[in-house]
Amino acid sequence: MLRLLHTADWHLGRRFPSFSEEAQKKLSRARMDVVGKILDLARRNRVHAILCAGDLFDDPTPTPDFWEGLAKAFHDHPTPEAPVFLVPGNHDPFLPDSVWSAAHPFRGRLPAWVHVVDRDDFIHEITPEAVLYARPCRSKAGECDLAMSLPVREPGDTRLRIGCVHGSTFDIAGYQTNFPIRKDAGTQRGLDYLAIGDTHSFRDVTASLPVPTVYPGAPEPLGFDETGAGKVAIVALFRHGSRPRVEEAPVAFWQWIDKRCRDMNELRALLTLQGLERQVVRLHLDMTVSLAEESELARILRELEGTSATHGRAGILVVDKAKLRVQVGSSDSFPDDLPPVLKDTVARLDRIVAEATDEVDKAKATRALTHLYKLLERQDELTGGPR
Amino acid sequence: MRLHRLRVQSFAAIREMDIAFGPGLNVLYGPNDLGKSTLADAIRLALLLPCTFKGYEPYIPWSGAADPLVELTFETEAQRFWRVRKQFDKRGTALLQESRNGQDFDDVERGRSVDAKLREILRWGISEPGGSGAGRGLPESFLATALLSTQSNVSDILGGSLQDDSAATGKDQIAAALQAVAQDPLFVVLLREAQGRRDEAYTDRGAKKTARGSVFTIARDRVKETREEKERLEKIVEESEGVERHLRELVEERSRCQENHSAAAERLVAAELLEQQAANRAAATEHVRIAREAVLRIQKMDQDIAAAERRVKDLAGLKDQAERALKAAQAAGASAGESLTAADEAARSSGLDSEMADTVARQALELRKVAAEQSIQEAGQRIAAATTAQDRTAAVKRAEEEHRKQEAEASRARETWAEATGAEQAANGILQRCDLLERGLETRTADKQVVVAQADVEKEAALQTELTRVSEQRSALAEQRGVIDVPPAGSLVALRKLERELASARGALDVGLVMTVIPTAIVNLRVRKDGVAADPEIIAKPLEIEANTEVEVEFANLATVRVQGGRREAQEKVRALESRWDGEALPHLTAAGASDLEALEAKVAEARELDSRIQSLDGELESLRRQITTLAGAAEALRGASERAVACRLELGDETPETLAADLDALGSDPGSALRARRQKASRDVETARKAAQEAATIQTLAEERARGLRTSLEEAVAVRDAALAEFPLGAAAAMGAAEEALRAAQAEQKKIAVELASLQNRINEKKGKLEAELTDAREAVEKAGRAVEAAQESLKKAITDHATEEGRLSELKRLRDAEDLTTAESGLRQATERHDALPVTERLVSPDEVTAAKDALAREKGALEALDREVHTMQGALQQVGGAVARDHLHGAMEAFELAESLERETEAEYEAWRLLLDQMKEAEAAQESNLGQALAPAIADRFQALTLQRYQSIQLTPYLGTEGVVVAGAVRSPERISVGTREQLSTLYRLCLGEYLQTTIVLDDQLVQSDDSRMEWFRALLAEKARSFQIIVFTCRPGDYLAPGAMVAGEGVGYADSDEGFVRSIDLGRAAGVRNVEETS
Repeated sequence: MLRLLHTADWHLGRRFPSFSEEAQKKLSRARMDVVGKILDLARRNRVHAILCAGDLFDDPTPTPDFWEGLAKAFHDHPTPEAPVFLVPGNHDPFLPDSVWSAAHPFRGRLPAWVHVVDRDDFIHEITPEAVLYARPCRSKAGECDLAMSLPVREPGDTRLRIGCVHGSTFDIAGYQTNFPIRKDAGTQRGLDYLAIGDTHSFRDVTASLPVPTVYPGAPEPLGFDETGAGKVAIVALFRHGSRPRVEEAPVAFWQWIDKRCRDMNELRALLTLQGLERQVVRLHLDMTVSLAEESELARILRELEGTSATHGRAGILVVDKAKLRVQVGSSDSFPDDLPPVLKDTVARLDRIVAEATDEVDKAKATRALTHLYKLLERQDELTGGPR
Repeated sequence: MRLHRLRVQSFAAIREMDIAFGPGLNVLYGPNDLGKSTLADAIRLALLLPCTFKGYEPYIPWSGAADPLVELTFETEAQRFWRVRKQFDKRGTALLQESRNGQDFDDVERGRSVDAKLREILRWGISEPGGSGAGRGLPESFLATALLSTQSNVSDILGGSLQDDSAATGKDQIAAALQAVAQDPLFVVLLREAQGRRDEAYTDRGAKKTARGSVFTIARDRVKETREEKERLEKIVEESEGVERHLRELVEERSRCQENHSAAAERLVAAELLEQQAANRAAATEHVRIAREAVLRIQKMDQDIAAAERRVKDLAGLKDQAERALKAAQAAGASAGESLTAADEAARSSGLDSEMADTVARQALELRKVAAEQSIQEAGQRIAAATTAQDRTAAVKRAEEEHRKQEAEASRARETWAEATGAEQAANGILQRCDLLERGLETRTADKQVVVAQADVEKEAALQTELTRVSEQRSALAEQRGVIDVPPAGSLVALRKLERELASARGALDVGLVMTVIPTAIVNLRVRKDGVAADPEIIAKPLEIEANTEVEVEFANLATVRVQGGRREAQEKVRALESRWDGEALPHLTAAGASDLEALEAKVAEARELDSRIQSLDGELESLRRQITTLAGAAEALRGASERAVACRLELGDETPETLAADLDALGSDPGSALRARRQKASRDVETARKAAQEAATIQTLAEERARGLRTSLEEAVAVRDAALAEFPLGAAAAMGAAEEALRAAQAEQKKIAVELASLQNRINEKKGKLEAELTDAREAVEKAGRAVEAAQESLKKAITDHATEEGRLSELKRLRDAEDLTTAESGLRQATERHDALPVTERLVSPDEVTAAKDALAREKGALEALDREVHTMQGALQQVGGAVARDHLHGAMEAFELAESLERETEAEYEAWRLLLDQMKEAEAAQESNLGQALAPAIADRFQALTLQRYQSIQLTPYLGTEGVVVAGAVRSPERISVGTREQLSTLYRLCLGEYLQTTIVLDDQLVQSDDSRMEWFRALLAEKARSFQIIVFTCRPGDYLAPGAMVAGEGVGYADSDEGFVRSIDLGRAAGVRNVEETS
């Protein structure tokens, strides 16, 4: 039996511009850390080879941090018994000046058991009974079906034949320029397993066909809509003609979740959730709050997100306040014993809210009231003692 | 404000008095008529009355010896001393001086300007002197009344207000003081916080801060950065999708073109099929016609045979009938002969000898005649047989002729076919040559494309090299530019102006200073002159230090003395300008590493030069990128062109473009068109030749078929002819000649016999007269019988001839018929008909032009398809250069980042707009509070008034302009007039004290509390002692015990004052001070 670990779409170096710099660092770090996990998993499963089916870097010329990090990961988590095959994908195509180029220092730092698929006729005999065929992407877009360009099975060849390419199967509507792959390419080329990469969720696109064609997905999700991401595939091949067994193995650190809160109770309940520290939470606030509640909401968000002095409850928090509304006006939220000048200030802002014909002005005055309310909440801190 | 010293001379009853005030409570006491109120008035005049105004008149000394003179020294703020000196007269003089140390005074104003300046300094709500409507007496204002009260108008303060002031300075001063004092601490903190948040985003003038690092700039830069990234990626995606769209359109176009090509090919096949069908059907029709003709011919032959047999039978009957008629005629002749013989016998009996001879002769002649007739008949038969043989021979000749003709026609058809086939082969050869030349042309084109693509590749490489070089050059310049941080060039003007203003302002400070340090012991000092530090030194002797603007002397562990040149306004102006310089210019200088504006200007010029060069390089880079973009895919094109060239050469086989060069060159300037024309002509020739060959083949087949049929007929005719000629060994012609000769001889013999017979007859007639009549009947009978025999013989001869002829013809027909096989012919006809019927009926007739047009259309579609294939290959190459799904993926993230940045920018804007609004509203609320000065001040007065009156009065109500509405008693407001005089005086005093405290200024109380009882005086004494620690109070009184603690009054000789309560209470005995310089210099 031949065992393989099949992974793809690491996207090392991917930027997350809609996140804070600290969150971006966390996410980037996790992408690098997962490589070590994958290699350890491969060692534990005693696989014969590790197939990395493209888009390992997010760009063909990543910054040294990433290629040096990857080379270090290989050195720190050696799997010399199981060679690693790195296939350039459409995000990191094999270009003359790319990280895959033979002249690039990255290549010089790779251990001998890590092979870069840098030829169109790449063949590697994993065992005498199993051979790997692979082909790299040479551009960011293309019409060529790389799987169909693999050699067909010769009559009498009973070895296990494994294909490994990067591209998109035909189940996506529209004209295919993203290295389209026929669903039956594995069958057409006489393969026993076709390892592909591109889609970020785990999927066997040929469940009804004898030759599995599998997307293992990204080992660390890259977005909130990648529900099946965070895995690699462990493949067991028995003999030619027998459908291999494909199993998912979770490796991700981060879980990306969307959470919607429609009232303060739901928001408060969020604080009691377990495992938030390993979740990237996109919190949609769909509620109307009073000034007092808005203040509490800000406190809860601080608790979830953390501050410069404290760790947040959530690993990474993204807040969508598009549907968060604050009740207009002060609504008697302020204490009665305010100094007259502050009472007058509140009254003036309330008057603006009441008299404004423009919602923007109302919102501005309400926000000003919110500021004042929060300042009053901090009065002890600001004045150096209880008033 | 604080009064330091009052000096009066010749002022009313006071000859001279010089009083130094303490910082706190000053109680100036003395008995009545000593001039206490005069001194209070002197202060008022010094501060308020212009020296030439008539208000001084009451103070002209009674002796009139001199003009009244007042000199008052006061301090408005720390280290800002003023000294005003007025000598009142119609031509009085006034001098205002200023000092930093209270010792050395400089003149500031003189004459009329003195009071204007004083009112500006005091800010008591008094307008400049000399204004329209202004009186020439002592000016009044609320603060003048409040701070410098007179004994006679203690309660005036309760009747006045700021509304009556001629200027707003008094109200402003009180408002400012109340603002500082009356603000709620919480409000102050919140206001400061709000101000801080607001100041993070806005300048003092309310504009958004645009400096680097400001919140809006950060947000805007982020939006700009993300927008630029988004737009960059949008451009890439647009380009990518453009390529994809173009490729998609090309593929669709190729698909359509393929369909058109297939349709054209189908149309050509259909046309050729129709043409072939038509040809096949025509051939089959011809075969049917030939077969039908054969059948009809055989059937006609059968009919002819049947008719011939019937005629032979009829002719045989006629022959028998003729023979029978001949026999009958011969029998009748014999009978007639016998009758004649009998007659002859009878005649012989009458003339036996001669008649006998005549009869014998006649019989001999008759026998000769019969023999001749027999010979004629036989010759006729021979002639008929010979004629038949000749007819057979002629028929053979005709058959041979016909056969030869068909053979010749078949031969000609073969030749025509061979010729057409040859022409077709020749045309096909031309077509093959055309193919070869076309491949040669393609090879030549591919070679040219290789050359062009190679040139493009080399050009692209050169451009890439140039791009790298220019990029590096630009990067170097950008790096050079990046380290230069300079403001916009336009801002230099403002900085220049600021620099000039600052230099000018500093110039005002550059007054020159000489400072002398006179040590009383050895001191260790550190001197700093004009901001430049000197080495520390230890001095024991006086040290003179000279500087332009500033001297700072640090006495070790003791103090630092700083002396600055110029007036306070000038210094403030310098500080303000320096502050502006630090805020506006210094950051730019620091950022640019420039020491001054000249250096900064040089940096700006350098930056501008670099920007210009970078812009120029950007243009160059853009141009290079555009050129490179236009050459994108050159390598792929070269690869494709090389592959095509190799493929083309392979297709050429043994030929090479060089061997074809002559032919290709012969095609002229438009080889494609020439080759196409040649190909079309060759195609037409092929078609023409093929058609001619088909027609020739058809003709040949028919001719050969006919020739075969004619040969059979010929052979049969030859057999018949040979059979006919068999009885003529010497030939039919000879036999014919002989028969005709025999016939002629027989006919001549017959004519001779007839003549002889006629002669014999004549003799017989002559000799046998009578017998002849008898014999005539016998003879006539014989003749008649002879004619009958002849007729019968003639009929028989004709019947025999006709019968023989018809039999020959029948025999010929039968022979011919025997050569034919009707069954086979009918079978052939059926088969031909079946084949004909089996052939599909041609839908329509196709002309050769249509087939040629279909071939041309197919060639056009093929050409278009090949062109599209080339374009698709090109675009596929281009596709590899674009971003594709990767760019779309990145664009998705960039759009999210941009939307987030925009959202953050909006949020930032809204957040700080709200802070600004909050701050504005807080300030407006505060201003509203402040503008109601009464509301701010009343609580302070009320508190003390309540304490004084032991809560008898609840509060005091003041108008916004500090007019006194009344006091609140049991919830009702009562007019001040309704309270007791003592209480009203106390209230007035409290009011003054409050104002003095808020304004931190001196108040002068001229025996204000004479109506107060002891307990309240006690309360006041404590209050004054307390307040004396925060502001100066000057009390003129004749009852010092009301204000001073026991033992605080002046005691002993020589000194006119006594300080107590840590120096905050000074008692001044005016009795001692009068005429005596009773005080020391103010510390």
